[in-house]
Amino acid sequence: MLMNRIPFSLLLTAGSLLAQGTTPDMLLKPPKDAWPAYHGDYSGKRHSALTQINPQNVGGLSLAWAFQSGINQQIKASPILVDGVIYFSMPDNVFAVDARSGHQLWHYTYPANKGFHIGSRGVSMYGEWLYFMSPDSHLICLNAKDGTVRWNVAVADAARGYWTTMSPLIIRNHVLIGVSGDFDNLTGFLKAIDPETGKTQWRWDSTPPAGTPNATTGGMTWMTGTYDPDTDTVFWGTGNPTPVLNGDVRPGNNPDTCSIVAIDPNTGKKKWAFQASPHDTHDWDAVEIPVLVDGDFHGKPRKMLMQASRNGYFFVLDRQTGESLVTTTFGPVNWATGLDKKGQPIPNPAKDPAPDGRLIAPDEGGLTNYRSPSFDPKTGLFIVSAHPSYGIYFTKPADGSFGWAGADYGVWGKGVLEAIDYQTGKVKWSHELGPNGSGAGVLTTDSGLTFTGDAQGSVLALRTTDGKTLWHAGQGQSMQSSPITYELDGRQYVLTSAGGVMFAWALPEKL
Amino acid sequence: MDNIRRGAVTFTALLISAALAYPQAFPADQVKAGESAFVQQCAFCHGRDTGGGEDGPDLTRSKLVGEDVNGNQIGLVVRNGKNNMPRFTVTDQELAALVAFIKTERKIAESQTGGRKGVDAADLTTGNIEKGKAYFNGAGKCTGCHSPTGDLEHTATRNDGLKLFQRLMYPRGASAKITVTLASGETINGTRAYLDEFTVALRDAAGRYRSWPVSKVKVKVDDPAEAHVELLAKYTDDDIHNLMTYLLTLK
Repeated sequence: MLMNRIPFSLLLTAGSLLAQGTTPDMLLKPPKDAWPAYHGDYSGKRHSALTQINPQNVGGLSLAWAFQSGINQQIKASPILVDGVIYFSMPDNVFAVDARSGHQLWHYTYPANKGFHIGSRGVSMYGEWLYFMSPDSHLICLNAKDGTVRWNVAVADAARGYWTTMSPLIIRNHVLIGVSGDFDNLTGFLKAIDPETGKTQWRWDSTPPAGTPNATTGGMTWMTGTYDPDTDTVFWGTGNPTPVLNGDVRPGNNPDTCSIVAIDPNTGKKKWAFQASPHDTHDWDAVEIPVLVDGDFHGKPRKMLMQASRNGYFFVLDRQTGESLVTTTFGPVNWATGLDKKGQPIPNPAKDPAPDGRLIAPDEGGLTNYRSPSFDPKTGLFIVSAHPSYGIYFTKPADGSFGWAGADYGVWGKGVLEAIDYQTGKVKWSHELGPNGSGAGVLTTDSGLTFTGDAQGSVLALRTTDGKTLWHAGQGQSMQSSPITYELDGRQYVLTSAGGVMFAWALPEKL
Repeated sequence: MDNIRRGAVTFTALLISAALAYPQAFPADQVKAGESAFVQQCAFCHGRDTGGGEDGPDLTRSKLVGEDVNGNQIGLVVRNGKNNMPRFTVTDQELAALVAFIKTERKIAESQTGGRKGVDAADLTTGNIEKGKAYFNGAGKCTGCHSPTGDLEHTATRNDGLKLFQRLMYPRGASAKITVTLASGETINGTRAYLDEFTVALRDAAGRYRSWPVSKVKVKVDDPAEAHVELLAKYTDDDIHNLMTYLLTLK
């Protein structure tokens, strides 16, 4: 009877809203009821226009649902949300969950394999297909409707020491994937894969083939890059050179390791590169999110790229040219003698790992890591979960010149959320997050809220203007993922995780 | 009496020589299964050969691994986590395989003569004893809390090289005192049991755990380890090597 009273036009609308998956337009401009890719949009700002949850009412935020994966591992994935369904991954596992209720639609399990199971940072979506990377370096295309496998291709040779953890970046009909592999001397690369067939469209190598005289290997590409549609350019961070701690056998700057590179997504050709850590000997991948911001810089409109890098430096670049606008530190850093003409730090050879150890700031985990920062356009603040820290670094001839080639140990560290004024690189406010450090990323919203997690298991909502805590809840473990937000049926949700559990927070439902 | 004692000594000597002559060997299948699990879940931090990776300790030199009997130490760490290490769910069989692999790798590492990778205690003796002593008594202000004839007596015997080096820079897990003042004005002292932005907890003199919302009480923390953090920003590499070489004399 009820059906009879629903106007035909409404039925049509509902029909047109049935599962369609992502479209290129949706990825360019995500609607408020979707978070269709790792960063939400292409810019990497992890900023949402949603305002229902605001500084005045956030104190009433409560649990809408929790999803128990049943897996005793930490969720490191940034979930995606399309057509009311959340998709996220853990090593060997992909889940589809109803974004309204938190109940499971399906669960895909990848066959047992010997890859490094250190984390899975999420799946990506093209139309109604999902793309998942396995610990043993395969790219698997799944049907989003039921989690069945469409195809499965090896993108790197796991037997040689490659593994994969990242969420692919989808640009039109290109699935961009990167790889990991620090325990062997391997070439890092970026590949564009055809979303329909799994065939490689192009490959860009960050370093020459292993065995090239005096050249480095490494430059792994293990985090999702960002994309500027105006200039049709992809921005990607590359990892450290290998051997990791022994730099003697790879003289020079070791281009394009520890770099931010600008790439043409159609051809894989490099447009420019900026090296965050020339001749790195401390494992400081520059894969942290290259955040794209259009705005004023010292009175002039600029298309900028900002990165809070693992090596302790905050960079602002002109992303059209790679020119440095700001290079500054955002915590204790003791390994450089200054900056070169390009605004790149100059490594101090006395701070290279040594047989009797060198005290280095930051530690090997870095002043930040894969957790996402957020850029808040209203305040111009770049907000990053920082890890002021010290470590000791060793290498000696017996450690050799392959893979890790040394040893390093953390000495001390803590977590601090830092809000950086991008015009000056100065920290406007900071918020202590607890001992050792937090693995949580940051989300900001247009209502003036900043969401993140502390070191001891609380999820926090802070006021973006000054970092004051407005709400918190204990999640039982420190969050290792970056929060997202979406609005469904007029209700805004914030998604966080801890351990193997995903939490959806919302204002109380009016029943 | 003498006979009995001699018997005991002989028996102990027999045990030691048996352990040396017949180091525990594990079935090849078990070691292989352990290696597979180790590579998947442990190798990123501890290295594929257990000799250390991204920030995880070198297990071939780990005191805990050395003292482990049938997984009684390793199992506790695997199942409960430790410091930054998360906990893992493993069956007894999986744990036994991990232990078999870890101990086999340790045996291989220990059997290497000369040129062994990793940090040897001998690597950490490059400093100058007199300069280290002068720093200890002077610029480092170490005597404010420590004494070579008090808390640091025999410290080089109690701690192996790398552990001592790490602890001199920051004594992880050192206790801190907390004083909580309630709204009534009552003060409660104890050792820090927990502290975050929202909750403070201490263990009082009777060993009781007590916690309060930070917003409802006044909290004063006396954490002597903070002095180490301040020094981290001031040390030169020579300072830490001189200090280390001096501390190594406290046997």
